[in-house]
Amino acid sequence: MKQERNEEINSIVIKIIFVMVIVSIWEFVAKSDAFGPSSELIFPSLEIIAKAFINNFIKGYAGTSLWIYISNSMLLLLEGLLLGMALSFVLSGLSIISKTFYAIYDLLISVFDLLPGVALLPVVIIIFGIKPGVIVFLVVHAVIWPMSRSLLDGFMAVPQIYIEAGMNIGLRGTSLLFGVYLPASISYIVSGLKVAWARAWRGLISAEMIFGIASRPGIGLYINQMRTNMKNAEMYATLIVIVLIGVIVQYGILSPIEKNTVKKWGMSK
Amino acid sequence: MNTSILRIENLTKIYTDQAIQNTVLEDMSFQIDEKEFLCILGPSGCGKTTLLRCIAGFEKYSGKISVDGVEKSFPGTDRIMVFQDFNQLFPWKTVEKNIQYPLRLTGIKDKASLNKISKDALSKVKLEEYGKYYPFQLSGGMKQRIAIAKALALKPKIILMDEPFAALDAMTRRDLQNELLRLAHEGSCTFIFITHNIQEAIILGKRIMVLTKRGKIVFDKKNPIECPATPASPNYGLLWQQLKDALYI
Repeated sequence: MKQERNEEINSIVIKIIFVMVIVSIWEFVAKSDAFGPSSELIFPSLEIIAKAFINNFIKGYAGTSLWIYISNSMLLLLEGLLLGMALSFVLSGLSIISKTFYAIYDLLISVFDLLPGVALLPVVIIIFGIKPGVIVFLVVHAVIWPMSRSLLDGFMAVPQIYIEAGMNIGLRGTSLLFGVYLPASISYIVSGLKVAWARAWRGLISAEMIFGIASRPGIGLYINQMRTNMKNAEMYATLIVIVLIGVIVQYGILSPIEKNTVKKWGMSK
Repeated sequence: MNTSILRIENLTKIYTDQAIQNTVLEDMSFQIDEKEFLCILGPSGCGKTTLLRCIAGFEKYSGKISVDGVEKSFPGTDRIMVFQDFNQLFPWKTVEKNIQYPLRLTGIKDKASLNKISKDALSKVKLEEYGKYYPFQLSGGMKQRIAIAKALALKPKIILMDEPFAALDAMTRRDLQNELLRLAHEGSCTFIFITHNIQEAIILGKRIMVLTKRGKIVFDKKNPIECPATPASPNYGLLWQQLKDALYI
């Protein structure tokens, strides 16, 4: 127990030292004019970035705080994530019940998982026009395929003993799906969730950078606006916000889910 | 007069793998009385496990298997199987939830009743203080005890046990045999216990059956030795020899 605790502290210390080294190198480049007169523009000092970070939230762009952009992005992401996850659960569940459906759905996953959402963007815009629904569509596309692949792999890896133990107590069809298949493949679901979240987050920012929707402007659009206005410090500060959101989701949502399921049940180290 | 609870008539099970057909059980017929403890002995590949899986409803077969006069072809809570594999408990449920979950499925929803039944079942296998544990926190022997408690809590007509103690060490195996004997003496249900250990069959079985290839019954007799059977019991050696001879025909 004590050894585990020490290893945890060591790991945190190593991470802090690594970040401090990177930050020091950055500050050295910013202050030393290593890239000529434009050094401060390409690599603004940490102090300027910190001020821009605060200004993003207080002043924002054209009177709209970064909070508004963040909440718009997060709402669209949440809509897409929930819809994508619900669809992948239903469709993967149907694949367990029907072998014909499994054959078709397996093919669809193999085909569409390879298609980057951004590549689909022109097609989607032609069909639906430029509206927030397009971004939701892209998030759903980013979530549904990796999540379904994880679910199906998880279902296939459920030990036969659990299935028979479930059947033995009277579970069949959907009750077997909810009673055995889903909880038994929770480690695959959590790993699918991680991949799905990462793809959705990236897909969302990319789509927002390609076309910003005036009615619901998001973080991607904000970065683009900062770039076009040569507000590089604000741009870097927004990138830090994106990383921070990712870290908060990873350690505030995904890690607790993992800790309270697979780790608590002894299904993972 | 004892009544027959399980009747097996002309049971045949053939596994087909591409062009190869493997007849594991052929035209097998026998019946078991209510509250009987039947031990089935047999060499590897004689169809012991397949027989149990057919009774449990996990396999398709030709012939007829009926429980209390009703033909069975699907799994059901009237025939609960205790597997050899220690990992038959659901790892995502605590010990007490593992016991309560099948009870909920049978329609018992009242929390107080569920708690009482699971507590009683755990006390029967002397693990009442382990209700809040998860299966991964228990030893193999404890998991098997809980699997037995789970089966008993459901009050099935028949408990099917497929070499449940085979992978345990000698001391734990002996403890569990004693516990099972005690539970069987309470006489709440019928047991079919598969083993390849002659001594285990003599200790546990009220009736002992020996199978050979294709499920052919070569020995089927009531156990003449009074419980508790030990190597010092009268006729122990004779029965042991008879079973050994039947096994190695």
